Amino acid sequence: MERRAFLKAGGASLASALMGSGMLTWSARSEAATISQTLYITDGTKTMPDGVSLYVKGYGTTANTPLIPAPSIICQEGDTLSITVYNMLSVTHNLVIGGLVSGSAPIASTGDIAPGGNKTLTYTIPSGAAGSYLFYDNKTSYNRFLGLHGGLAIMPAGISNQLYSGSPTFVKQQFWILNDIDPALNTAVKNGTTIPTSFTPRYFTINGLSSRPPGAAGHGDPTIDALYDPRSRLSGHIGDRTLVRMLNTGMCSHAVHTHANHMEWLTDRGTVRPSVWKKDTLYLRNNLGKIDAIFPFEAPPDAYPPVTSGHFPMHLHDEMSQTAGGGLYQFGSMTELEFL
Amino acid sequence: MGMKGGSGGGGGMGSACYVYPGAPATPGFVTPDVLFQRGIYMNGSMTFDDGNAVTIWGFTDLAAGGGGGMGGGSFPSPAMRVTEGQIVHTALTVNMMWMHTVHHHGIEPSQENDGVGHFSWDVTNGTYTYQWRPSHAGTYFYHCHTNTPLHAEMGMYGGLIVDPVPNPNDPPGTKRAFANGPIYDVEAIWAADEIDPAWHTLQWSAGTCGGDVGLNNLNPRYFIITGVDGANSALTNPGVAVTMQKGQRLLVRYICAGFHPQKIDFGGLTATVVASDGRPLPQAWQTTSIEAHSAERYDCIFQPTTTGTWTVTVTYYHWRSGAVLGTARTRINVV
Ligand SMILES: [Cu+2]
Ligand SMILES: [Cu+2]
Repeated sequence: MERRAFLKAGGASLASALMGSGMLTWSARSEAATISQTLYITDGTKTMPDGVSLYVKGYGTTANTPLIPAPSIICQEGDTLSITVYNMLSVTHNLVIGGLVSGSAPIASTGDIAPGGNKTLTYTIPSGAAGSYLFYDNKTSYNRFLGLHGGLAIMPAGISNQLYSGSPTFVKQQFWILNDIDPALNTAVKNGTTIPTSFTPRYFTINGLSSRPPGAAGHGDPTIDALYDPRSRLSGHIGDRTLVRMLNTGMCSHAVHTHANHMEWLTDRGTVRPSVWKKDTLYLRNNLGKIDAIFPFEAPPDAYPPVTSGHFPMHLHDEMSQTAGGGLYQFGSMTELEFL
Repeated sequence: MGMKGGSGGGGGMGSACYVYPGAPATPGFVTPDVLFQRGIYMNGSMTFDDGNAVTIWGFTDLAAGGGGGMGGGSFPSPAMRVTEGQIVHTALTVNMMWMHTVHHHGIEPSQENDGVGHFSWDVTNGTYTYQWRPSHAGTYFYHCHTNTPLHAEMGMYGGLIVDPVPNPNDPPGTKRAFANGPIYDVEAIWAADEIDPAWHTLQWSAGTCGGDVGLNNLNPRYFIITGVDGANSALTNPGVAVTMQKGQRLLVRYICAGFHPQKIDFGGLTATVVASDGRPLPQAWQTTSIEAHSAERYDCIFQPTTTGTWTVTVTYYHWRSGAVLGTARTRINVV
């Protein structure tokens, strides 16, 4: 299992503050810590909503089960990240932490990890680095589409309720990591055949899952149904302002649309917006685009009579993403907004 | 639950799955300030500049004598215009052959009135009255939320404008984008959309029970603005192209009504963007072009200081590759 013996550098030594499921939980610290995590690059199969079984790769916490996405990591400025990655597969892989600003170079990398080998990435987070990051495999341009990706949240030092020092405040935070899957890619990687030069995705996921509407097998199962996955679903009472860290690891640009409330749009592609716009639809770019926004959990403003509870969707408005296998509307990248 | 057997008619035959038929009474029903009575049409058409045509579906205005299904209707569907604070009813009537909803995009009502099938019902064999009260002036649109990739692509959308309550200190007839917002004299609604003819042969529940009907793959061939072909017609169509006097103020309500990302370029004019998605911006934004994705809206003020003609170009980009798929053009003529 995880090896933590070497984690003695720096201040406090913490087991990685990661969650296999559920929201990101965080308490600010007055001193820096070392955040350690061990991940295993491994492969497996995932069943798509139409029953098609696909080859996938992922970063798992055990040697034989890929987790897609990898467990989220949360830390604060000044902390040292120590991520040890074992490559259980027969081709070279890596793990990089993408830059804060989309399009900029990764800020840290394990370097090449040979088959059967392991490497440790050590990175001390500078001040001013607070924000949302994707960690992923960039050994090829497509490894992240296969599932080799995860979210890293860097909090401003000593602050528990702001995205960056001085940002609007929140009381909860979550990742929405979006991916698009073309089976031709997964099959080519599995079989070692030529990688397609153009992709047409057929499955669309949020935090690794697609939605299952009422009446469908798996509906309501948080391990299958993205509507109920606690990593994705926003659930709150009025005032439970929730920061959503949206990371696009996939192939397509998306229009992220929330019902019930407009979102407060804080950042685009890692850059703080000049002012906070209230939007019901946000343009999340491909090529590692990202957005941070707060879903405010205000009473739906246009209800008559007024209401404070209800269930609503967050779905992508590029509606091709709401399908699976070329049909099956409502089996795509969607989750639920639950007003308790 | 969640299944319904086959039903036929215009729009094709076929069974439907994961639909939630219903047309119940509206919770908390009150007498409205405004009533829209919408039916649906499933056999409209649009002819493009090259002479080809596709089938179009949409909503009809039953109060104006619109039909109830098999015929055609206007595209886009008839706009709704209301005032902030009014209690609004949208009564949607659908016969037993089909299921549809009205989702007032950007309007945020109760769950029952949000028009999302699996959180409420897909209207069939009766009438459901959506009850809502808009709290923010601005630009919205309404569209069907049943088998949405198909029904929205088929044309089931229309404009939805919420006006501010008139300011008693303004001269009568003064038009503002929102309360205390900019005054405008001329208004245009530009809903930029793209059409893939291959999708326009499908029946209403296509793909819902599984099987590959291609709804993951939109390959548009035609690029339109507010129901008019942007190849040539929209350059001069009086419902799209703007003609205004020098010194007047124009409000363009730009709606990204397609599924692929777009960029609208104002041909050298500078827009003062004052609102987006039905909310005023904290500070106005000056720009000569806007990149937008599906369902975003931007409210743009223009006040040209010289006469002339400016060609506005909407460029459509493939959602994955970023390749240019096509363009649609219209004009602002200042005389
Ligand atoms: Cu419909
Ligand atoms: Cu919409």
